[in-house]
Amino acid sequence: MLDRPAPAARRKLVEVKGLKMYFPITAGILRRKVGDVKAVDDVSFDIYEGETLGLVGESGCGKSTCGRVILRLYDPTAGSIRIDGTDITETDSETLRKLRPAMQMVFQDPQASLNPRMTVAAIIGEPLDEHSRLSKAEKLNRIYELMDAVGLNRNFANRYPHEFSGGQRQRIGIARALALNPKFIVCDEPIAALDVSIQAQVVNLLEDLQDRMNLTYLFISHDLSMVRHIADRVAVMYLGRIVELAPRDALYERPMHPYTQALLSAVPEPDPEIETVRKRIILTGDVPSPANPPKGCNFCTRCPKVMDICRAVKPPFREVEPGRYTACHLYEDTTTAGRTGAPEAFTSTQQGV
Amino acid sequence: MTDLPAAKVDAALRPPRNQWWDVWDQFKTHKGALIGLIIFALILFGVALGPFLWGIDPTYVDPNPVQMLKLRNQGPSLAHPFGTDQLGRDMLARVMAGGKVSIAVGLTAMLLSLFLGTLIGVLAGFFRRLDGILMSATDLFLSLPLLPLLLLMVTLFREPLSQRFGTEAGIFLLIVFAIGVTSWMQTARIVRGEVLALKEREYVLAARSIGTPSRRMVLRHVLPNVMSPIMVSATLGIANAIITESALSFLGLGFPPDFPTWGRILFDAVDQMQLYPLRVILPGVAISLTVLSVNYIGDGLRDALDPRIRGR
Repeated sequence: MLDRPAPAARRKLVEVKGLKMYFPITAGILRRKVGDVKAVDDVSFDIYEGETLGLVGESGCGKSTCGRVILRLYDPTAGSIRIDGTDITETDSETLRKLRPAMQMVFQDPQASLNPRMTVAAIIGEPLDEHSRLSKAEKLNRIYELMDAVGLNRNFANRYPHEFSGGQRQRIGIARALALNPKFIVCDEPIAALDVSIQAQVVNLLEDLQDRMNLTYLFISHDLSMVRHIADRVAVMYLGRIVELAPRDALYERPMHPYTQALLSAVPEPDPEIETVRKRIILTGDVPSPANPPKGCNFCTRCPKVMDICRAVKPPFREVEPGRYTACHLYEDTTTAGRTGAPEAFTSTQQGV
Repeated sequence: MTDLPAAKVDAALRPPRNQWWDVWDQFKTHKGALIGLIIFALILFGVALGPFLWGIDPTYVDPNPVQMLKLRNQGPSLAHPFGTDQLGRDMLARVMAGGKVSIAVGLTAMLLSLFLGTLIGVLAGFFRRLDGILMSATDLFLSLPLLPLLLLMVTLFREPLSQRFGTEAGIFLLIVFAIGVTSWMQTARIVRGEVLALKEREYVLAARSIGTPSRRMVLRHVLPNVMSPIMVSATLGIANAIITESALSFLGLGFPPDFPTWGRILFDAVDQMQLYPLRVILPGVAISLTVLSVNYIGDGLRDALDPRIRGR
């Protein structure tokens, strides 16, 4: 994963460019717009076919919003989203409906994402009702197939969601997402609401399904160890922006952005001898409000390596090493010095911001 | 996942069962609802088939004046088990005939107001653009003084409707319509509130990510989950409609004087209530029993429709 693969070998399934999602803030009697919550602010990345992109960050940094905008569950403020070559940023609802089977979502809270009044069979069958014309028997057959695929006993088909444990409910959610043979699945913190023993089961199931069905995941999580386990590449978000995007091993071995360094230093070390001597980077202060982010770099208020330029100019999101992108002024000089031989155009076509 | 014996697996592996069977199974366990259902069925049976079994015409007044005077205000007897009223008409026949009208008015007006309330509540809650205008309309209706409005509607439209559809059908339509359009507001408000909360639930988002169109999203995910408050307002609504109809008849503005309804019978009996209390008690008990049994049925149905309560 560390080497950059030839562009021809791996097709980009999802291309996100300059994506912005602002939620208006209104105030006063006339409900005038007084500002925006910049939940997702100028985010660009690609996801290659068959890979898992992990999206990590602390709560409220816009991870989930990002995942939902990519599936057009919200209408983006600006930017473009291409899935499998089709631009879905502006498509009307009927066209979008036809494209839905290719992209699905697994939700965070398996309790809340299943309709309590529907049986498991009805929940898994809903996508089939909407997008296929199977006969009753064929549909039931397909539902049983899906239940087998996610490891649910067929006898559970007539039960209701409240009769299941959290892990089983998440399996129902995954079966629903798989029903239409999607190519791309957004996993929005699929394991956050589960206890640790079940987390591993669900993650292994997701990996197993990826191998069998050649799925592409956007895996949103705040659990860095789990992302390390499942993701091929990892994007780190802070306050609506991606601060670093790199192949997994490179990112975990040598984080570049100060925020990533701080985030990774917070991961507990199982070995007690290392744990005692380990140095944590403790960030001070709070995350600024996404309605009023700092003028320069979003991280400048808490960054331990802050410079003057950080408070004035937003660092561009650029490729500093092959396959590694970061938005930090610290790497501006090294980039120009270290990459004299690299083709200039490559940077701009890839992730031009 | 769990290891079941092979035989058990085969037996249990049947196609999804119609969920109304589950609903019925749960409904049966609710004692009050079952008793309510039996009582309501008896009342319905009585008012629908009773007049055929009890051959006396509820509006029959003996043409012979002397005979008529003798028959007035009698207590219960074999010939007239519920006694007779101030014109010598048979009370049993009148209560049965009156029940037919009152229950028909109650059910239809309840359905109409429920339909209006649910429709407006769901539209206002689900589609943000309609919210402002629909809720203003609801507030407007809520602020109207209802009884004077009902009286005005009845006085204005009674004649044209009677001419168009015949006296009884015209007044029936008028009263059902009048009660329906003046009692949907509570339902609309409750439903809107529930829908606003449900709309943000993840399963609605999941349905959107599947590509379910709005109308099916409403029918499949929103409506079944606002069933409980709708049920409650339905059962309260039927009681309310019967009582409003009684009030209108009681004020002399409902059906024509010789046409029995429970409210009308009460109205006729009130003058001599101290002398003949039975004539007030009979229609009163009939109204209360109907309302109470419907309330219990609604209660049981609400529980039975919720799979989380089912099986407990």
